[in-house]
Amino acid sequence: MPGMVSMTQPIQQSFNPYTENGGTILAIAGADFTVIAGDTRQSEGYSIQTRYAPKVFRLTDKAVLAVNGFAADGNMFVKKVRQRLEWYRHAHAKDMPIRAIARLIQTMLYARRFFPYYVYNILGGIEEDGTGAVYSFDPVGSYEREACRAAGAAQSLVQPFLDNQIYFKNQTPAAGTAFPKHLPLSTVLPLVIDSFTSATERHIEVGDGLEIYVVLARNSTALAGLQSLRGVQEVTGTNDGERVFVIRRDLKKD
Amino acid sequence: MSIMDHNGGSVIAMVGKDCVAIASDLRLGDRALSISSNFQRIFPITDRIYVGLPGLGTDVATLRERFRFRVNMYTIKEEREIEPETFAHLVSSTLYEHRFGPYFIEPVMAGMSKTPSGGYKPFIAATDLIGCLNFAKDFVVAGTASSKLYGVAEGLWEPDLEPEDLFETISQTLLNAADRDAFSGWGAIVHIITKDKIITRTLKGRMD
Amino acid sequence: MASADGGAYSYSLTVFSPSGKLVQIEHALAAVAQGTTSLGIKATNGIVIATEKKTSSILIDDSVIEKVAVICPNIGIVYSGMGPDFRILVTKARKSAQAYWKIYGEYPPTKVLTQEIATVMQQATQSGGVRPYGVSLLVAGWDSHRGPSLYQVDPSGSFWAWKASAIGKNMINAKTFLEKRYNDDISLEDAIHTALLTLKEGFEGQMTEKTIEIGVVTVPTAADLEEGKIGGETGRPKPTFRKLSEEEVRDYLAL
Repeated sequence: MPGMVSMTQPIQQSFNPYTENGGTILAIAGADFTVIAGDTRQSEGYSIQTRYAPKVFRLTDKAVLAVNGFAADGNMFVKKVRQRLEWYRHAHAKDMPIRAIARLIQTMLYARRFFPYYVYNILGGIEEDGTGAVYSFDPVGSYEREACRAAGAAQSLVQPFLDNQIYFKNQTPAAGTAFPKHLPLSTVLPLVIDSFTSATERHIEVGDGLEIYVVLARNSTALAGLQSLRGVQEVTGTNDGERVFVIRRDLKKD
Repeated sequence: MSIMDHNGGSVIAMVGKDCVAIASDLRLGDRALSISSNFQRIFPITDRIYVGLPGLGTDVATLRERFRFRVNMYTIKEEREIEPETFAHLVSSTLYEHRFGPYFIEPVMAGMSKTPSGGYKPFIAATDLIGCLNFAKDFVVAGTASSKLYGVAEGLWEPDLEPEDLFETISQTLLNAADRDAFSGWGAIVHIITKDKIITRTLKGRMD
Repeated sequence: MASADGGAYSYSLTVFSPSGKLVQIEHALAAVAQGTTSLGIKATNGIVIATEKKTSSILIDDSVIEKVAVICPNIGIVYSGMGPDFRILVTKARKSAQAYWKIYGEYPPTKVLTQEIATVMQQATQSGGVRPYGVSLLVAGWDSHRGPSLYQVDPSGSFWAWKASAIGKNMINAKTFLEKRYNDDISLEDAIHTALLTLKEGFEGQMTEKTIEIGVVTVPTAADLEEGKIGGETGRPKPTFRKLSEEEVRDYLAL
């Protein structure tokens, strides 16, 4: 009879501690800058929980952390990382260099190896030698420094596009020339925006808004071009020389 | 593992200016083991219609034969070649016949259809495994690398690409998407269809 | 055993007579020849089919009688012979057109549908326990491949294309009349006019808009075709075959 569950076997019920909140993040390292971006939609299943929930956070003037996956874990993780950075600042009278933050994140994630933070982290910023850096992590702390990385719901859509446009994969340079090792900010920013508009088109969990953090090294050549864009907001905290800017754009809301 | 992923493989079709392109990888695998780097999954239906059949390998062969039979009967009975839109409906109804025990294929079609004024118009279409038709205006994708194909195509495609530019665009889309998919790759083939000729090229890509 | 009317060979359909005939089919053709006259004329820009709507009593409500039938938006048929057999064939033809539509997303070309109907009629000449259909049909339709085409289908199942033809009671005189009046450049308007004149030749009684039925195939313009196969709201293609209303028939008769 309809509605009557089979009474032959007991069915174990349990509480699922995780859920997926959608969204996508992306980071690209330049010669003297790094771009870290994320859409602002937070969803659960077919519902949108909010059109503006930031996923990208400024840790220091040299490091920006993007977190994606289970939003509750993501937000808590950022809080805890910030706490550790503050303790470091008190103990050492300086900010943590980015490669140290990366290693710290690994240890923090692996500490929860048997009840992980369900987040895919991407840490972007400026290395001690002034070069742009992107570090990407899995939920239990495996990490690697890269030139570019996409994570989240639309990772499978965005990463191959970036492989082609940043790493020039499957492309051969014209005779006598070579592809640049690093691209300028003026090329990278449109690529970031195009990646997100494409992902918004084809993935339901991506849309509403885009927040792009740009971290510039001291005396970065990208500074001039940045200030001429519309809607650029500076969020630099210190006077050490590195600068952090935020650019917000709308994405389709459907 | 899903049956659609067992053999692997992907297909994409794109619209250009007075031309269409259809491309696929050449891998056939048995789960993670790669077996053939030469597996054809795009077939000509008429001089101006090509169909790509990504999915379970045995169904590729079977559907190819079924469509050949039905199109031959159509050609003989109607004394004319089948048009792309008509063929798309034929694909849809053939798949829906097996609604509750489907072929594990998601066909992709590309062709040039005759306009009432005697010219030709680019045409692409795709269906799901039970025949739901999708008449897209830009591109259609299917196979194990479909999400990757969507991402790259959405980034690279623009309207009114000439045949040579469409070739570059579809090739880059397929190669970069297949490189992020473990079950697609091991070679690639591209057909560019214009109103009076078809140019077929195999691509040099990663063989892993 | 063989005699003028076929004798023993005339009662079973599945038996050839010594002269090589299936006598039942001959009898079916006789039934057709007793039916009211129908005709069809193909013009450069369309086709007209028409028939007498003869009722045996003035008490019959003739508005319910349908002798010219729409099969699908681009094909219509008319008959001479047994009405009930026609009704069955119309149902089968309509179902056949819908079955084609379900597979191909478009309606069948005239020739293909005609072949389907002819197959149905032939099957009734080579099966046990059935008799042939007692009708001849005129099938008129338009398709993008061949343009307007007119076919006749006989009880035997054989069919062929006509430029102009008549079937039924007065067919011989009507065909003679048509042979004189037909030319390859005739327009649809002239064809309708000629059709009415031809019908009038053998008409018993008053020829009014209530005693004849007319169906017309028109050729879509380039604009109609470019619009696409799907007609906006209904999703059905714009029809190329339609029956003339009583008012339209009256206007043509008045000319």
